[in-house]
Amino acid sequence: MTRKLSFLFGLIAVLVIGAGPALAHHGGAAFDQSKTQTLTGTVTQLDFVNPHVVVWFDVKGADGTTTKWSGWLTAPNKLQRAGWTKNTLKPGDMLTVVGNQQKNGSPVLQIRKIAGPEGDLPTFEQ
Amino acid sequence: MRTRVIAPTLAAAFALAASATLLSQAAPAGQGARGGGARGGAPAAAAASAPAPAKDLSGIWMMRNPPGKNGPWTNFTYTDPMKAPPALTEWGQAQFKLAKDSNGGNYTLDETNDPVLTKCYPPGVPRVYFHPYPFEVIQTPKQTLLVYEYDHWMRRVHTDGRALPTDPDLIWMGTSVGRWVDDHNFQVETVGFNEKTWLDRLGHAHSDQLKVTENFRRIDRDHLELDIKMEDPKALARPWVTTFYYENRPQWELGEISCSGDYLDWTQVEKGGKEYKR
Repeated sequence: MTRKLSFLFGLIAVLVIGAGPALAHHGGAAFDQSKTQTLTGTVTQLDFVNPHVVVWFDVKGADGTTTKWSGWLTAPNKLQRAGWTKNTLKPGDMLTVVGNQQKNGSPVLQIRKIAGPEGDLPTFEQ
Repeated sequence: MRTRVIAPTLAAAFALAASATLLSQAAPAGQGARGGGARGGAPAAAAASAPAPAKDLSGIWMMRNPPGKNGPWTNFTYTDPMKAPPALTEWGQAQFKLAKDSNGGNYTLDETNDPVLTKCYPPGVPRVYFHPYPFEVIQTPKQTLLVYEYDHWMRRVHTDGRALPTDPDLIWMGTSVGRWVDDHNFQVETVGFNEKTWLDRLGHAHSDQLKVTENFRRIDRDHLELDIKMEDPKALARPWVTTFYYENRPQWELGEISCSGDYLDWTQVEKGGKEYKR
């Protein structure tokens, strides 16, 4: 029963969030689906790799320290069809992301929404 | 324990919905990204479609649930698991209890025993349809090829009139024969599966007695309905049936998504490590 309930409310989250088509080859159990956070930072690297595109970015804290984050998106072939290339984000670009952080506190994000210097970027193909 | 995620999950969902003022919904495909795509953008939403050509499924098809049909559970199972779960035999229930799925959101990659995610096993049929990637139909006079973008899996459907094998070899994707029922319905029957794959991404099991019948029904030029029936006297108390919906994507071409070491390395990435190969 608990398995079913977890599944059901995961579905509700997907519906409310409007995540649309499947994002991943795996589920999101490793990430805290109960909280989303918004981060703004500077891109240091874009890995356009199988099975998920990974964005690396630095986020400066209020105390002046910098944290190196990574966030993962869907598969590169799906993002290509949505208009992305391996150069869509470049080192030095500012970005804002919304997503769910790894439950163990690591600076890793399952990205739900992303915006680069030119505005919102698609997270899946139509 | 897992019921604890209910309230936070809902809270997060609404919080993210509220955040839409900061970041609006994802831009339409092909827009908002610097440089554009090498393969061109996705087509605009289908207008009124031309009639379906006769006895022709060729093209690239992508699962898209029409409004009011199916639900997000088509990402990982065939019917609404809360309202219409499959009827399992005692053996099927016992096997299902052993499954630790990832795609349903219940287990991490470190915990799951999903054979695709942990071993890169082929997905089997019809599980291959849950991978969120398109498939292409290539027709020749004596066989129809079903080519799936995921891992470039290919099924050869014999259309030369041969019968299903009575004593098939037990393989990952089975042995298939097909025939046109009429101008717009193509029926495929498949038998001869090994028992190493799951029926779906939640971990429902099947045996080597599984028979899968697919009916591809081209509604019009741009739309395809796929009826799937699974029969397995060892695992299923009754046949499990569903209908999936697809849209034509003439501007796409199949790309590459490989269940290589990258898949397995991802377990480390998910845990917060950085140990994956570029």
